[in-house]
Amino acid sequence: MLWGVWGALTKVISADIDAYTNQVLFAIGVVPVMAIVLFSGRLSGGVNRKRGISYAFLTGVLGGTGNIAFFMAFSEGGKAAVVVPATSLSPLVTVILGYFILKERASGYQKAGLALAMVAIYLLSL
Amino acid sequence: MHIPLWVVFAMVALVFWGITGVTQKLSTNAISTELSFLWFGVAMIALAVVVLPKVSVHWHVTPKDFWLAVMGGTLNSLGAYTSFAALEKGGKASIVIPLCYLYPLLTIILAITFLHESLTRPQLAGIVLALAAAILLSQEAPSQTDKTI
Repeated sequence: MLWGVWGALTKVISADIDAYTNQVLFAIGVVPVMAIVLFSGRLSGGVNRKRGISYAFLTGVLGGTGNIAFFMAFSEGGKAAVVVPATSLSPLVTVILGYFILKERASGYQKAGLALAMVAIYLLSL
Repeated sequence: MHIPLWVVFAMVALVFWGITGVTQKLSTNAISTELSFLWFGVAMIALAVVVLPKVSVHWHVTPKDFWLAVMGGTLNSLGAYTSFAALEKGGKASIVIPLCYLYPLLTIILAITFLHESLTRPQLAGIVLALAAAILLSQEAPSQTDKTI
């Protein structure tokens, strides 16, 4: 639900502020959630902290860059009702990369999902 | 064939967010969800510092837009954190993950109701297919080490 509200909210804000400003303000909004996590008492341990932290940092950089592109999609006139369903298909990329990088096999459902997602993206762009 | 610029940016977002699905998994395989989230946040702040020079010097952001954008960051990251928490508190991944990916439904309802967005017939069909595809994509194959009782 929180993501659903964020999608519509972003469309409203993108009419007034550019993608980079939006990302800077977005990052400020992440800080209170970081504070909650900081006091969770579950920051120790892990089988490989250096590796885990490196991948977490990379996730943030890639996620933030994706955010900027998402904000730009709205600045360029994309509708919230179209851009959000289209970008929600990002697991399409995860499933494909999971197959090649993590050697995870795709389920029959996921293979059907990949095909449907391709058609959906084409239709959404019309 | 003319591809609108917004489609290009939406696809860039899709690819980058899709890659994070893998990097996030690699991270939480090695450390706790909380520590992973904390460093995810650190990277978000680092990226904000990097793009800061691109932000307009004459900053005409109204207090309303300022707080809405900040709230956007809070809502999004809280959504990511609570979805992990739902899984950790015993929620079945087969139910929690597909439910998470139905979030565009709420955006569509809000966009049509409050933003008065109109959709073409192909786009309506695309939305239905996208929702179905998102649910199907979340149905992972059982791990080879999983044991059934």
